[in-house]
Amino acid sequence: MTARADILARLTGTATPAGIAAEAAALLIAPERPRVDPAQVEETFLARLTLSSVAATVDRIATLADLPAAIARYCADQSLPLTLCVPPDPRLGQCDWTGFTLHDRAAPDEPAALAIARCGVAETGSLVFETGAAAPMLPNFLALHHIVVVPQVVAYLEDATLPGAHPRAHYWVTGVSGTTDIEGTYVRGAHGPRFLHVIRLG
Amino acid sequence: MSFATRVDEALADRNLKLAVERTAGTAEAKRTLAVDAFPDFDAARDRAAAIKDHVVANLGHYLQAFEANATAAGAQVHWARTAQEACDIVVRLCKAANAKSVARSKSMLGEEIGLPHALAEAGIGRIETDLAEHIIQLSGERPSHIIWPAMHKTREQVSALFKASHRAPHEEETIAAMAESARRHLREGMLAADVGISGANFLVADTGAVCTVTNEGNAELSLVPPRMHIVTAGIEKIVPSTGHAVHLLRMLSRSATGAPLSQYTTFYTGPKRALDRDGPEEMHIVLVDNGRTTMREEGLAEMLRCIRCGACMNHCVVFRQIGGHAYGGTYPGPMGAVLTPAFDGLKQSRDLPNACTLNGKCQEVCPVRIPLPTLLRGWREKSWREGLEPASLRSGLGTWAWFARRPRLYRAATATALRAMRLMGRSGWLTRLPLADGWTRYRDMPRPTEESFMAQYRKGRRS
Repeated sequence: MTARADILARLTGTATPAGIAAEAAALLIAPERPRVDPAQVEETFLARLTLSSVAATVDRIATLADLPAAIARYCADQSLPLTLCVPPDPRLGQCDWTGFTLHDRAAPDEPAALAIARCGVAETGSLVFETGAAAPMLPNFLALHHIVVVPQVVAYLEDATLPGAHPRAHYWVTGVSGTTDIEGTYVRGAHGPRFLHVIRLG
Repeated sequence: MSFATRVDEALADRNLKLAVERTAGTAEAKRTLAVDAFPDFDAARDRAAAIKDHVVANLGHYLQAFEANATAAGAQVHWARTAQEACDIVVRLCKAANAKSVARSKSMLGEEIGLPHALAEAGIGRIETDLAEHIIQLSGERPSHIIWPAMHKTREQVSALFKASHRAPHEEETIAAMAESARRHLREGMLAADVGISGANFLVADTGAVCTVTNEGNAELSLVPPRMHIVTAGIEKIVPSTGHAVHLLRMLSRSATGAPLSQYTTFYTGPKRALDRDGPEEMHIVLVDNGRTTMREEGLAEMLRCIRCGACMNHCVVFRQIGGHAYGGTYPGPMGAVLTPAFDGLKQSRDLPNACTLNGKCQEVCPVRIPLPTLLRGWREKSWREGLEPASLRSGLGTWAWFARRPRLYRAATATALRAMRLMGRSGWLTRLPLADGWTRYRDMPRPTEESFMAQYRKGRRS
């Protein structure tokens, strides 16, 4: 017998697929979770971003046309050159990038990368991404400064999950790369970004 | 080396006690704050346990659903009955990919099946990318905790290891500078690796996704650049849907580190798509049994709820005295004391279920309500039934039982023993005690009261 057949032979059950599905669905009715006030979703998200476990800085813009100026402000604050890794996202084409040096392949020691999240999550201060032709994943982990545009905010993690078929990667970023592996002392920038800058759009 | 010898060594190590206390103590405090901020946490634990029980009861159904959906997304699913079969599959895949080096993201299942050793035997270079795993790879040790594998190392020891092996090591003796040195060193290895290997925190049946959780982001950096991603996962890691994973993620991060959510949570579904800019060309998922079906059949199904948060060990009075290495298995602490006899055999590890005070603290903090003390007692009873306890213990208990069935004789004997102990402990403490040198080697015993509890109780009842 193959390993597969051997293992499955020991895991037979009498429940029907429909019965199992009904039981699984029942297990998700009204899940316990830290409550987010529906009237305060935006405020809760912004408050979560400033928690020490997330430690993001925040800016606001009205439209994507304001994005280059917001990034220029951040770069000036952080004494960074106006050099940026940007994803090949057509939405960024409407911006005037005069003064910036842009590229779309991240270097191993990339100083700063820009990304557009699908949404932010108020419950945890997480930023939600999916990979695709216009959204590579690696720059978001290689860069020292992770600059993220957030076009909308949802209340709970469940609201950020994807129905149906998934892209290659669906990922939630909740702060910067950190470690407490040496004597329990917290260090930022263990492997990935050391700084997270959120630009709330709209 | 016997368990007793390992414990002796651990207790003699002054650094160890301090290091364990520091990290486990911080984890305990942070978990308490996180739980206090989540008013429904207790009810959430009931639901988490129910989700895991539902999965374990319908494991065959969910494994097949996961396999179908992962395959539809382009991944290849493999099945392994044993640790050896799992390692053979991984080594074969690495060789087929002509892999010179693999980047591995921390996985306890990988440790359990002996994957680091199997890769070394096959001549395949391996870099451990989790900072703590990197430290213990350099020191040639095993993890001492499932969340903080290098919790037993001091900063001075880490500094010496990095200076001996990093090409451009830190100059400043700070923890931040050491972490920066590791960042430089490991990044080169991750970007050059041919294969990335990870475990899975969850396998999502209805999408075929594999979920990893890290705070460092090393999983993503290890798994996106290489041309092949191999996952080794225990079959109990299945969840029905992403929604079920979300509930368990809320429990996992709070119980492990006290955070509402870990920094990086990623769901990988198949290999790189046609238009993707990055990601591996191939994704392989090895579903590993290694004793889990037997655990399910033989009274340890509740242990398959475990989501590997480490809360039980952080709160265990025994773990906090002896650390993780003394347990001798892949998994330390209370969950390890239940799992190791299942993996390695009770004969070799029957000391572990006995190294427990049964104070119940592990069960109190377990996010999936595993009745750890009950399971440990089960191993003790099995060990007794199978005659694995040493003759001295069996005859000692037999003698005690003989006296205990003769109350007058028992009372007389205890009264005599009390008088002798009071004579020996005239200073107020007993520094040595016949038949109990295991106790008095590390601590003094207080001088007993003049009369036994039963004698005092009888007097109290008369008055």
